[in-house]
Amino acid sequence: MRDAYLIAKNELIVTVRNPYWLFHGLVQPIIYLVLFAPLLNGVAGVPGFPAHNAIQFFAPGLLIMNVLFSAGFEGFTLQDKAESGFLERLRVTPISRLALALGFILQSSATLLFQSLVLIVASLAFGLRLDPPGAVILLLLIVLIGVLMASLSFTLGLMTREGGILAGITNTFILPLLILSGVMLPIGFGPPIIQTISRLDPFFYAVNAARNLINGALSSPSIPVAFAVFAVLAAIALTLFIRSMREAVA
Amino acid sequence: MKALTAPEGSPIIHAERLSKTFATRGHAVEAVRGIDLTVAEGEIFGLLGPNGAGKTTTMRMLCTLLLLTDGRASVVGFDLEKEQAAIRRNIGYVGQKGGLEAVATGRENLMLQAQLYRMTHAAARRTVDALIERLSLSEFADRTAETYSGGQRRIFDLAAGVVNAPRLLFLDEPTTGLDPQSRARVWAEVSALNAAGTSIFLTTHYLEEADALCDRVAIIDHGQIVALGSPVELKRQVAGDRLTFGYENAGNVAAASAVLTGESTVLETRVDGDTLLVYVTNGDEALPLLMRRLGAAHTAPKTVQLARPTLDDVFLKVTGRTLQAESTAE
Repeated sequence: MRDAYLIAKNELIVTVRNPYWLFHGLVQPIIYLVLFAPLLNGVAGVPGFPAHNAIQFFAPGLLIMNVLFSAGFEGFTLQDKAESGFLERLRVTPISRLALALGFILQSSATLLFQSLVLIVASLAFGLRLDPPGAVILLLLIVLIGVLMASLSFTLGLMTREGGILAGITNTFILPLLILSGVMLPIGFGPPIIQTISRLDPFFYAVNAARNLINGALSSPSIPVAFAVFAVLAAIALTLFIRSMREAVA
Repeated sequence: MKALTAPEGSPIIHAERLSKTFATRGHAVEAVRGIDLTVAEGEIFGLLGPNGAGKTTTMRMLCTLLLLTDGRASVVGFDLEKEQAAIRRNIGYVGQKGGLEAVATGRENLMLQAQLYRMTHAAARRTVDALIERLSLSEFADRTAETYSGGQRRIFDLAAGVVNAPRLLFLDEPTTGLDPQSRARVWAEVSALNAAGTSIFLTTHYLEEADALCDRVAIIDHGQIVALGSPVELKRQVAGDRLTFGYENAGNVAAASAVLTGESTVLETRVDGDTLLVYVTNGDEALPLLMRRLGAAHTAPKTVQLARPTLDDVFLKVTGRTLQAESTAE
């Protein structure tokens, strides 16, 4: 565990010195917040729109969107580390593969928490009203989803070894997951077929839970559902990542 | 940190039938095909060969980065398949790319490495300070690694490889891409480490490096060892020294060749226009003797050259190709 902490600390020092990745992930959500959220005000009164104002609808989803764009692209940093020989240097030391994997996950979780706090503060400036206990629980859910996305991206990064391929795969999956999650517009606006497909998108449950948490509807069943779905998925992805670290691919 | 020690007198590396097959796009590539080798404690052992010969793959198997397809090995007295943790505590490894974190300082890189060998923060601090002092790196230690020149980076790579005072240090092409001055510096540090008791296993495609640094060299080609011995032995047994006699009159060359054929030191003579190439076992002793014979037979040459064989002559002899050509063709 000390090893995982050492790796995470080192990675965080590096992230802070070269904060490109920290802000790269934030640029897209901030643009949505500034340019897209105001557009939603026009549909806020339409029947079927679940909230009375746009920011209350959009901000929780935005936090989930940030997980996709931040943790979902962590694989690139690991590819750089494999390319530079850094990973190889660590793998010859007595550090366990588990600690190495957890160190990278820990670092990505810390980054994600920081970004989420920035986005919450920015949303407050745009008029978001949040329930504090709900927001804390939402941060936990975000970290859990972050573990899933970072593990998947790290694993894919190690498998593909090529930034172009990784980017292609990641973008192909992220966009439909995002649209079907109902971050942008309520899924209820769509035809039944879209509504049915959206139920297969785990992020649909994440966005639902996020909205309930921000509004303080803590007894909503969507919350345990989301935690259950992502606990299972994150566990599977983390196992895959640890296994790919074990195998001599890096 | 307490290093485990293997029984006295056992070899630092002992490998049998070491093999590695990679599956690439449906077909198998045999990168290493049954290598046997033994390295004694205290040796500098070099694997010399062209790019793609299997040097790096062999090294990566021996330092626990790659699983073996077949064969077995013991490294620093421990079984390569079953006792990887014990091996890792006792070896150091410097890869081709070094692997310094670019935006961290040299000191931070070394601190992380030391702490991963389970040193306390204080012990790591002492070790890293001493290492920086010994390698004269103080001037650069607190700059980020991305600002280093190739030579500076290489010395830090080396420092990272020895923070745990390993009994055996692996160096994968330690001077590839370095300027001559930096190369000399790396050679000096490697020699100093070896003099202090560290066994060294390195790969190289530089003949001079194998020649200057290694106690013993294995020449490797297509995943197999094709020659093995000290640089001096290898050059002597395979090539011999080369004498080149130059004549004004090409007509004398054949006569001279006839005079020398049958001399006990002469391995081979070859007529090439107005020059006579003579391969001998020991050029220093053979030259005055052969000159006397030629003078007595009135076939004395106008010019003489004595050339020592290089490891490239050895490579040429065993593979039919030259290493220099292989490297530049890359």
